[in-house]
Amino acid sequence: MRSMALLGLLACGLGAGSRAARAQSSANLLGDGIRAYRNLEFDLAARRLRGALAQSPGKDAPADQATGLVYLGAADLFRGRRDSATAVFRRLIMFDPGYQPDRLIFPPEVTGLFDRVRQETKTLAIAVPQETEIAVGDGALSVRLVASSFQTVEVTLLNTDGGPFRQLYAGPIGDSLKVQWDGLDAAGGIPAVDRVLLRVASRTPSGVLVAIRQVPLDLRVFRGDTLAWPPAPTQSQLLPERSSGGPAARALLGGILVSGAVIALPTIVGGSGAPSEPQVAVVGAVGLASLVGCILHRPGRPLEANIRSNETMREEWRQRVASVKAENARRVRQARLAIHAGESTFIRPGGS
Amino acid sequence: MRTLLVLLALAGMAARLVAQKLRPAVGPLVIGVHVRNESPAGTDEFSGTTFGGEGGLSFGRLVLRLDYVQGSVSPVSGGPSARDLIEGRAEIGFRPLRWLTLGGGPHARAYVIDGRSVRWVLWNVRGRAEGNFIGSAVAGYMEGWRAVSADVNVPEPFDHAEGGEAGIVLRLSGAPLQARVAYRIDHSVLGGGSRQETVEGVVVAFSVVRR
Repeated sequence: MRSMALLGLLACGLGAGSRAARAQSSANLLGDGIRAYRNLEFDLAARRLRGALAQSPGKDAPADQATGLVYLGAADLFRGRRDSATAVFRRLIMFDPGYQPDRLIFPPEVTGLFDRVRQETKTLAIAVPQETEIAVGDGALSVRLVASSFQTVEVTLLNTDGGPFRQLYAGPIGDSLKVQWDGLDAAGGIPAVDRVLLRVASRTPSGVLVAIRQVPLDLRVFRGDTLAWPPAPTQSQLLPERSSGGPAARALLGGILVSGAVIALPTIVGGSGAPSEPQVAVVGAVGLASLVGCILHRPGRPLEANIRSNETMREEWRQRVASVKAENARRVRQARLAIHAGESTFIRPGGS
Repeated sequence: MRTLLVLLALAGMAARLVAQKLRPAVGPLVIGVHVRNESPAGTDEFSGTTFGGEGGLSFGRLVLRLDYVQGSVSPVSGGPSARDLIEGRAEIGFRPLRWLTLGGGPHARAYVIDGRSVRWVLWNVRGRAEGNFIGSAVAGYMEGWRAVSADVNVPEPFDHAEGGEAGIVLRLSGAPLQARVAYRIDHSVLGGGSRQETVEGVVVAFSVVRR
């Protein structure tokens, strides 16, 4: 067991040593190549630089990669291999669209060819911070585009299924452009998805699609809970706004009852059963009051007091809803969005 | 200890009574009276108008009512001479339900004929039911009473007496005023039915009420 652990440690040590040795060798070859170029030994320089670039894929030391390529292009040019130099410069521009050769080091023949290749090569680079946290609507994610030459770009956020999420920019770009996203979707709402694609399509000025770069963005929203809307007044809470038949019927029945009592009283107490003048007078008064009551309380009559009371209740509810809406809007504004940018991918139409 | 409990109970009752609102009412009263007197000697009918006033006091479930009227009644078709009529009632009642009042009290009526008076003093028990039937503006009521004892200075012995009243109360919205229109009847039987007296009338009253 102990020997296995020792073997493991040895293997790790050898692996690390191998990577360090390769980096050292690449750096030496690059240095040798540059020295050979300065000594005008262009064939030797080209060999050394190709060797250095073959050992260094570019990710570990991008500056060395760009330096090696520009020296290699210049060496090839002075070796009379213009096509090879053009291909090397194109590779450099694809690798770093914003790269500019030092005009104090390289003569106009080299910078002239580089500029020509740069004008012909349409590509761009995207710089997105790997981790960003913004206040939704107030803050912004800054995306920096660096173009090799003048072109038009469309910067769009897409859903993972390719559907549109939000367009950020469509227009020309010279050297570089800063595009910002405030964290909202096309409708101005908080994103309801947890992943979008940042897609930058570049076109020639004549409209030919030449390159697409995509960066996946993982989204995470941190928001305060919103308040539920207050319930609207229910029918049972509202007063009837039109009179029912009840009050009119009650007026009629009350009148009949009292009139009946007036008519029946003499018989009940043992007096004469014949209607007397006082009875007729009172029954008439009661009947009149009952009739007026029926008319005043006829069914379907608008009940102004109830209508006013209901309107007051509804207005109070509307004010409570407006207050909750304002509070919810404030809480939404305070939502924060964490954005994690993934690896950029490059797509060239036609696969070239 | 018992005294203390009694004192506490009395204090509680006093507090509740203080919390009750005293509601007085007072106003004029007019009654168009029709009197019918039946006796073996014949039937006499009188009519006239009496004027007076009425008042009431309501205190929680307790009710106190007083009314007094006087005037003269004249024979409807010749015969006997006109006479003065004076009538007064007092009643103390209790309201077990919001719409029901039970009570009782004295009811006195006197006829003055040529300086001689015929007095009726009845002790009645009463029941009254009242309820709104046109919003809160108009209420209807029915009332019935029966004499439990009587003192009448006529030759015939008193037999029994009953009466009732039914009408409407109109309340003016927002004003401390109310009006009452009612039909009232009293029927008394004396001497085993040999003499009967019926007094009926239209009651019109106005009151200023503290609500």
